[in-house]
Amino acid sequence: MSEVRKPQDKKGPHKKKESILDLAPYLEKRMRVKFNGGREASGILKGYDALLNLVLDGATEYLKETEETLKSGQKTRPLGLVVCRGTNIVTICPQDGIEQIANPFLQPDQ
Amino acid sequence: MAANNNNTAANPSTLLPLELVDKCIGSRMHMTMNNDREIVGVLLGFDDFVNMVLEDVTEYENTPEGRRVTKLDQILLSGKNITMMVPGGEGPVGQ
Repeated sequence: MSEVRKPQDKKGPHKKKESILDLAPYLEKRMRVKFNGGREASGILKGYDALLNLVLDGATEYLKETEETLKSGQKTRPLGLVVCRGTNIVTICPQDGIEQIANPFLQPDQ
Repeated sequence: MAANNNNTAANPSTLLPLELVDKCIGSRMHMTMNNDREIVGVLLGFDDFVNMVLEDVTEYENTPEGRRVTKLDQILLSGKNITMMVPGGEGPVGQ
């Protein structure tokens, strides 16, 4: 707890709140977005604001996985141009930074 | 609005999300919520919290085989649970 950052520590008093996430390098890139409540979507980032609302183009929603989709593959549906509410966004990452792996937590049955 | 002032530091040519929603006032929009609910209606207006006033609304609940509840007049949709907004969207068609 001795490492708690206070405004006076490094650059002087921060009067204006700055975002810790700059999305400018991700414009025109396909991003994968996860929402509070379990929805997931993927689309090309066209715009954003400081509150993390996003504009995604050519967006597809990844529907929730069920027993069936685990075998047949994840179902998607096309949405087109969407606005994502920043208040309900949980994670954002570039689509090409994702790789699906086998479950590393499975215990061998004994 | 405070949100617009903060964007001057970012690239000014990016499309602001709430500007896009503003352009859609008067046209049909499709909203997905946190849960399995979706709302389709004509957007009359919204506020800073993206609470929305909608007209000629159809509500879709996806789990019980696409059950529909059609409401007319106007509704106030709370922005708290809005996840995605699709301008001109028709909702879960064909499901």
